[in-house]
Amino acid sequence: MRRVTAFLLAGLLLILLTPAYAQQPTFAGKTVTIIVGYAPGGGYDRMARMVAKYLPKYLAGNPTVIVQNLPGANSIIAANNVYNVAKPDGLTIGAFNRNLVLGQLVKVEGMRFDMTKFAWIGSTSNETTVLAIRSDLPYRTVADLVKADPALFIGATGPGANTYDFPLLLRAFLKLNLKIISGYPSSSDIMLAIERKELDGRAGSYSSIKPFIDRGLVRPIMRARASVPAIARLPVDEDLAPSETARAVMALRSVPEVIGRPFVAPPGTPPELVRAIREAFDKVTKDREFLAEAAAAGFDIEFVNGDEALKITLGVLTAPPDVVRIFQQFFKFE
Amino acid sequence: MLEALLQGLVAVLQWNALSFMLIGVAVGFWVGLLPGLGGATTLALLLPFVYNMAPVQAFAFLLGMHSVTATTGDITSILFGIPGEGTTAASILDGHAMAKKGEAGRALGASLMSSLIGALVGALALALAIPVVRPLVLTFGSPELFMVAILGIASIASLSGRGPRGMVRGFLAGCLGLFFSAVGSDPQAANLRYTFGTLYLWEGLGLVPVLVGFFAIPEIVDLAVRGTSIAGKASVGRISGVLEGVKDVFRHFWLTIRCSLVGTWIGVLPGLGGAVAQWMAYAHAVQSAKDATYRERFGKGDVRGVIGPGAANNSKEGGDLIPTVAFGVPGSSSMAILLGGFFLVGLVPGPDMLTKHLSVTFSMVWTIILANIITVAASFAFLNRLAGLTAIRASLLIPFLLLLVFLGAYTNNNNIGDLVVMLSFGMLGYFMVRYRWPRAPLVLGLVLGDIAERYLWISTARYGTSWLGRPAVLILIFLTVLAAASPFIQERRSRRKEALRAA
Repeated sequence: MRRVTAFLLAGLLLILLTPAYAQQPTFAGKTVTIIVGYAPGGGYDRMARMVAKYLPKYLAGNPTVIVQNLPGANSIIAANNVYNVAKPDGLTIGAFNRNLVLGQLVKVEGMRFDMTKFAWIGSTSNETTVLAIRSDLPYRTVADLVKADPALFIGATGPGANTYDFPLLLRAFLKLNLKIISGYPSSSDIMLAIERKELDGRAGSYSSIKPFIDRGLVRPIMRARASVPAIARLPVDEDLAPSETARAVMALRSVPEVIGRPFVAPPGTPPELVRAIREAFDKVTKDREFLAEAAAAGFDIEFVNGDEALKITLGVLTAPPDVVRIFQQFFKFE
Repeated sequence: MLEALLQGLVAVLQWNALSFMLIGVAVGFWVGLLPGLGGATTLALLLPFVYNMAPVQAFAFLLGMHSVTATTGDITSILFGIPGEGTTAASILDGHAMAKKGEAGRALGASLMSSLIGALVGALALALAIPVVRPLVLTFGSPELFMVAILGIASIASLSGRGPRGMVRGFLAGCLGLFFSAVGSDPQAANLRYTFGTLYLWEGLGLVPVLVGFFAIPEIVDLAVRGTSIAGKASVGRISGVLEGVKDVFRHFWLTIRCSLVGTWIGVLPGLGGAVAQWMAYAHAVQSAKDATYRERFGKGDVRGVIGPGAANNSKEGGDLIPTVAFGVPGSSSMAILLGGFFLVGLVPGPDMLTKHLSVTFSMVWTIILANIITVAASFAFLNRLAGLTAIRASLLIPFLLLLVFLGAYTNNNNIGDLVVMLSFGMLGYFMVRYRWPRAPLVLGLVLGDIAERYLWISTARYGTSWLGRPAVLILIFLTVLAAASPFIQERRSRRKEALRAA
């Protein structure tokens, strides 16, 4: 009997002491899992694995950090899981498709989460979309592309990807003479089709097109809002918009690219844990070794804090209904 | 060039590169054996480790791992009828049939030897292709890729049974495969097809759970019903069987070489995916049977049905690397991940790899060759033990096999849907075997349907109908007609032979 009492007392003591502990959360002896919404090998996965490698150094108690892939439905499955199933104990972090917020905006079926209710940690990198065309073509400016004849063949993977959505809006609002050929399995297949002159150009993230720009195969013509210094001088689609609505629709498409690699924790994760993880992420993205490795892997690191990321997310979801209506005609999340 | 070739070899043979390769090979060995866990996934998991390595070491490590998965994947396929890799399912048809006849040793010998030759051919092709790689890859546009898919689909004719009834069944199974390939979000407009409101099916049916269920479940049921060991009452061939298998490869040497070339070629063409090569090679092996009676032996344990896919799924590796190295355009999903490895070690794939970094490129050739020699040699050492597994009684083996099957399917998406797909296709596979419907046409339809759909759309959107007149397309149309007609030609030959015999 006495032993049981001692046990209960010890338990009680533990419970009483926990809040004191929570002031300075420690992850010692624990395992933090980053759940990625895609299969191994893609950009989201590679980023998560790189972060997982450096994160233990900056979390109190140096926990083990592992990556778990939960692919499917453009990472909706993973987001549903982190939102509804994972415990809000600071040991689960989700890394999802940046466009989930747009999916929520156009009310895609099957989404069982609210992007604004996640405990936002932040984004480690932005996604820079550029339009590039073959260097042997005579066109150099946006005006040239409006006048281009015949229409330029632009390769795309499919709706919901920047290879498709970006040129689609350029054609609709800026009257660029483009014909979009969609259905290529991946962006590198598009690149090869450009190489064999089946296509005249493509849109896509600057980091993936850069090697081909350096090699002289294509030249960038314009970009979307999110940027890195190397392409800062290119014209931005929104600045050329003919009307306020067109500008708003274009902005809506590119806003998630500012938070290109989002990381979130389950809703209800205690603020002190979120703060600790945010700080760790902030330090990781300033770690010299991490930056060197990221640069080698083709990522431009720019940490956007969780508060800022949440603000951007809220901004998307409060877009005026008439803008959303037009946006919906162009955007498809699947 | 010769100098670079030697430099490449010397670089690979340096102790640190060689030891990284050995680690890679050891990992690849197990990844290949275990169903589900595939070469591509493992590449992604190993990628973070190469950051501090020199390029030659990194590729010795990564390619050493990846290039042996198909070799050891064949072992699981043959012994248990469970595809060890998505790229080794075709070896089951005849390989496992041989194992059930007590010829596991022979099948393994043939498979390993053909794998080795396939790897050598692929590596050689990579080395030889270096000067001509640009025209080689660039003549193949979307219309040609579409026609290659059609050529593969036309091979369904050869993979069907004999007679009108067999033909109709094969054709219907192929159509069913094409239908299954349509599940998921469509590639052009992203409309959801046949997803029944589930999120799981958005990305279509995963090839691994489908293949694992489709091939392994019927075998496990069969094993449970028979209650004996896999090899049943047949005595398991000892070392002589293994040697026999090795000899088989040399007996059908030209077939081995041709299937290796098929594999390399499919590898060179980006966008066709890793699963296609083995089936095209299998179809080719069937088509090259002299007449219909020879053809009938396939699927019942013909060693040529082991040699074909065995050679092709290894020669593919060298082929895959060609566009990856020369253009930075990956030839398969694995190569897309390997591409990340290039950047991590500070190399930019593209023309530089053929000039400035030529010795690194050649070190890849050597890695493929050495890794495969090591693996095949190591496997031969264990071969008798492995073949002995087919003599274990069913009640001991089945729980273990079921574990492999469930784990293998689940690794696809870590989703319960993987198990549902695996079990559904297991049931379908069981009934198809039970009622003698051919399974190969269904798989061919499934792996080629998506490719055919994509590239038909792209070709038409880009060229209208003018693509039909491209020379390479015309050649492929001719080959397609040949492939579709081949069973009828074989049938006629055998009838003529019978007539001769009767007279």
